[in-house]
Amino acid sequence: MTVAVPLEQQGAAFPRGLARYGRPAGIALLILALGFLTLYPMAMLLYGSLHSTPPGMAGEFNLDGYANLATEENFQALINTTILSVVKTVLSLALAILLAWIVARTDTPGRGVLEVLITLPFFIPPILTATAWAMLGNAQVGTINLAWRWLTGSEGTLVDVYSYGGIVWHMMQYSTPFIFLFIVDAFRAMDPSLEESSRMSGATRWQTFWRITFGLMLPVTTSAFLLSFIRGMESFESAVFFGTPVGIKVLTTQIYDLITQRAQPDYQGATALGFATLALMFLLLVVQSRVLRGRSFTTVTGKAYSPNVTRLGWMRWVTFAICVAFFVLTVALPVGQLILSSFFQFFGFYQLDMLTLDHYRSVWENRQFWGAFGNTLLLGFLGATATMVLGGIIAYITTRTTWRGRRLIDILAWLPWMMPGMVLGIGFLWGFAILPHAVPIYGTLWALLLAYVALGTPVAVRVTSGAYAQIAKDLEECSRVHGAGWWQTLGRILVALAWPAFAVGWVLIFFGIMRELSASILLYVPDTEVLSVVMLKMWNGGKPEAVSVIGLVMLVMVLIFRWVQLRFIKRRISTL
Amino acid sequence: MPSVTLQGVGRHFGALKAVDSVDLAVEHGEFLTLLGPSGCGKTTTLRMVAGLERNDTGTIVIGGRTVSDAAAELFVQPDQRKLGMVFQSYAIWPHMTVFDNVAYPLSVRRLPKAEIRTRVMTALRLVEMEAYAERPAPALSGGQQQRVAIARALVFEPEVLLLDEPLSNLDARLRSQMGDEFRALQRRLKITTLYVTHDQEEAMALSDRVVVMDKGRALQVGAPETVYRRPASRAVAAFFGAPNFIDATVRECRPEGDSHVLTIEGAGAQGECRTAQAQRPGDTVLVMIRAEDVALGRSNEPARPGQLVWRGRVTDGVFRGSRRSLAVDALGRRFNVECPATRAAAVGDDVTLKVDAENAWALSG
Repeated sequence: MTVAVPLEQQGAAFPRGLARYGRPAGIALLILALGFLTLYPMAMLLYGSLHSTPPGMAGEFNLDGYANLATEENFQALINTTILSVVKTVLSLALAILLAWIVARTDTPGRGVLEVLITLPFFIPPILTATAWAMLGNAQVGTINLAWRWLTGSEGTLVDVYSYGGIVWHMMQYSTPFIFLFIVDAFRAMDPSLEESSRMSGATRWQTFWRITFGLMLPVTTSAFLLSFIRGMESFESAVFFGTPVGIKVLTTQIYDLITQRAQPDYQGATALGFATLALMFLLLVVQSRVLRGRSFTTVTGKAYSPNVTRLGWMRWVTFAICVAFFVLTVALPVGQLILSSFFQFFGFYQLDMLTLDHYRSVWENRQFWGAFGNTLLLGFLGATATMVLGGIIAYITTRTTWRGRRLIDILAWLPWMMPGMVLGIGFLWGFAILPHAVPIYGTLWALLLAYVALGTPVAVRVTSGAYAQIAKDLEECSRVHGAGWWQTLGRILVALAWPAFAVGWVLIFFGIMRELSASILLYVPDTEVLSVVMLKMWNGGKPEAVSVIGLVMLVMVLIFRWVQLRFIKRRISTL
Repeated sequence: MPSVTLQGVGRHFGALKAVDSVDLAVEHGEFLTLLGPSGCGKTTTLRMVAGLERNDTGTIVIGGRTVSDAAAELFVQPDQRKLGMVFQSYAIWPHMTVFDNVAYPLSVRRLPKAEIRTRVMTALRLVEMEAYAERPAPALSGGQQQRVAIARALVFEPEVLLLDEPLSNLDARLRSQMGDEFRALQRRLKITTLYVTHDQEEAMALSDRVVVMDKGRALQVGAPETVYRRPASRAVAAFFGAPNFIDATVRECRPEGDSHVLTIEGAGAQGECRTAQAQRPGDTVLVMIRAEDVALGRSNEPARPGQLVWRGRVTDGVFRGSRRSLAVDALGRRFNVECPATRAAAVGDDVTLKVDAENAWALSG
C-alpha cells in the first residue's frame, strides 16, 4: 500500500508522485539510520582492531591486536565466561521451571502476589544488587557473616561472594526471573485437553508430565536456556564486582581492563577482543537458530485456557515457602542491606552511636549525583520513546508489508542481539571519535542515547511485532475500505490497539537503560554520567554508604515504574 | 450505466492465475453474488474491487469513476473508493464502542459531530442495534457483531456494499435469519451489493444474479434459477447438489421459445429435453437431471409422450427429515432421487423414474 498523499490531491491522472518515491526514500533513510546504529559500530570495531593507535590518531594498520589475543589470560577468561554462564543458566533454568510450575500449575496460596514478587528482581538493576551483596557477603565484614558469627559464636566465614560461586549467584538473581517470565505463560496457556487426552490414553500423572507437558515446553525452555546463556556470556556487572577484585576474569571485564586499568589504554587489544567476542556471539546465535529451527510454539497459543491445577495438600505451604525464600534472598535481603548501610557511618559497624543521616545529606548535596539522576531520567524517557518508535516502525514494515528492503531492515535491527553492551560501547567509542568535529556526538548525551537505542531495538521489535501479530489484518483493511487513509489507519487502529504492548515495551526499555552499565562506562564523560556509572565510580572510590543511598533512589524509581506497569497497563491489556 | 464494471480483471501470483480475466457488470441496486468453492478467486475479486489488492490486468470502474486500470498504472486507494464492506470476521475494532465503530467511516472523513450522531443512530436503528450504542464492541455476540458491521458499512451510504462471506461464522439458524433480514434491508435501501459466498443456498436465496466462479474464471452469470436449472456447463451444474448426468444422442431438434427442444436417446430411454443451443441429429449431449426433478411412480406405470422414463429398483434410502434421498438402480445405472420423506418408496421396491422435458437440460457434449 502506498503512503501519504491523498490521491485526489495527487490527481488521478498522475499516479507517479510523492507516493511513488516517498516510500523508497523512507525505507532508504531507515536502512541508513539502522546501519549507523548497528553496522557502523561493528565496522569501527574491526577498523579499530586493525589500527595500531587510539581513535583519531595517526597510526598504521597491522594484525597485532589479533596476534596478541592468544594469551593464556584471554584463554582463561574465555573458559571462565563459558563455565560461569553454563552453570548459572542450568541452575537458573531449574529454579525457574520449579517457580513457573508452582505459580502456574499448583494451588499454592497467593500465587498472584508471588508472581509479582518473583519477577521483581528482573527489574532491579544488577549494579544495585551487586553493591548490596558485596556488603552482605564480604568475607570479613559482610552482614551475613557478622550475623553468623554473632549467632554461633564462631570466627568462621559462612559466605564469600568474591568467588566463582558469588558471581554465579549474582547472575542467577537476574536470569531466574528472566527465564521465569519467558516460560511461565507457556505453562499457563497450555491447552488442558492435551494433557487430559494423555491421561485418557492410560498415562499416569508422572508419565503425562514428562512425555506431554515437558515435551510441549521443550521448545520454549530450550529457547530460554540459549538466550539466558548468551546473556550470561555478555554479562559485566557480576564479574566486575565479584571477579575482578580476586582475579577472576571474564571476556567483558578483560576488555574493560584493557582500556581502563592500563597505564596506556590498549585500544587495539580491546577492539580485537571485542571483535572476537562478537564472532563468538554470532556463532552462538547461529547455533541457537539451528537448534530452534522448525520448533513450533503453536501448541502453546495465546488463548486463555484454564490449565489443570495440581492440588498439593499440605505441600502447598512448602512451595509457598520456596517462592517467599526466593523473594527474600533476591530482593528483601539486598534492599535491607542498602537501607541498613545507608543509615550507618560505616557499613559493617552497626552500633547505635554510628547511626547517621550524613550519607543522605551528602548525596542530596552532590552535584554529580543530581547530574547523573537527570541524565538517567532524560536518557530513559528519550531513549525508550525513540527505541519504541523505531521498533514499532521496523516491526510494522517487517511483519505487515511486502515492501522491498524489509529483509535487510529485519537483519540490521537484529544485529545488536549479538553485541554485548561492552562491545557495542567500544564500537561506538571508535565510531564517534572518528566523526568530523561538525558532528559532535562524542562526549555528549547523544553518544549514550544512540547506544541505548541500538541496544534496545531488538527488544522493541520483538515486543511490537508480537503485538501486531495479534491484530488481525482485517481490522486494518476494514478501516481502509471505510475511508481512512494509511496514516489514519496506523494511528486509529493499529497503534490504538497495540499501545499496551508499546507501553510494556517502553517500560522494559526504560528499565534496560536504567540498568545499562557496560556501554555507558565506556561512552560517558564527566558531564554525561548516568546513575549506574556514578554508583560504580563511587563504589570504587570507597563510598559504599553513599552508593547505598543512590541504590535506594534507583530502587524507588524501579518500584514506581513497575507499579504503574502492573496497575495500569496490565489491566488495560486484560480488558482487550 | 452499471454501478460496478470489471473488464478483463486478473490477479496473478507467479504462474498461478488466482483471478483470470473476469468481466462483470453490477447494475444499480442489484444484489450480485460471487459463488464458488474455496480458492476459486471470488474473495480475491472482491478485494480487488475494494482496492485491498491490486489487479494485475484489466480495469475496474465504480460509479462511473475508473478506480483501477492496470495498463495505465492507475490505482485509487481503498479509502478513496467510497465503499462499505463487511468482513468475514466482521473486523469490529475491539478498542471502540459500538457507536465509535459505526461512526468511524464518518469521523475519518471529518463530518460534523451532530451529523455523525444522527447518521450513526439511523444506521444502528436499521439493524436494530440502537440500544447497544454505548456497549464496548467485544461484549457483543456473533450476530450482534454482524449487525454492527453492516451498520458500519451502510452508514456512509456507500456507492457499493461489499460482503465477504458475512454469514459463515454464524450458526445455521441465525445464518438464515440474518440472511433474510439483510436481503429485506438491501431491497428497501436499493443499495448495490457485491456478495461473496461458497454456500449455494445462501447465494440462491439472496441474489438477483449469481456469478459462478471456478479456478479464477467466471463460468456463468445469471439469475439464481437460471444458473440452477439451466447451467451453461457441467462444472456449474455439478456445483449445486449431486445431479444425475446421462450421455445421450440427439435424434431431433426444434426451437421453442428462447431455447430448443431435443428428442434424445440415451441410457435405455427415449424422450425429450431442453437445451440452449440448436443441435444436429447425431450429436452427443450430456443431459442433467436434478435429483428432486425425478418423479417416482409405481413399477410399470405408463409414461406420457415425451417423458424420459426408466424402470429400476431402490437400493438405498437416507432419511433427512423433510425429505428422503434414494439411490435407484436402473439398468446398472445409479440415479439419485430426492423426494418428500412420507411419499418415498422403500428399499427393494421396483419403481418407475419419470422426468419431464422441462426438467431435463442438455449440455453440449
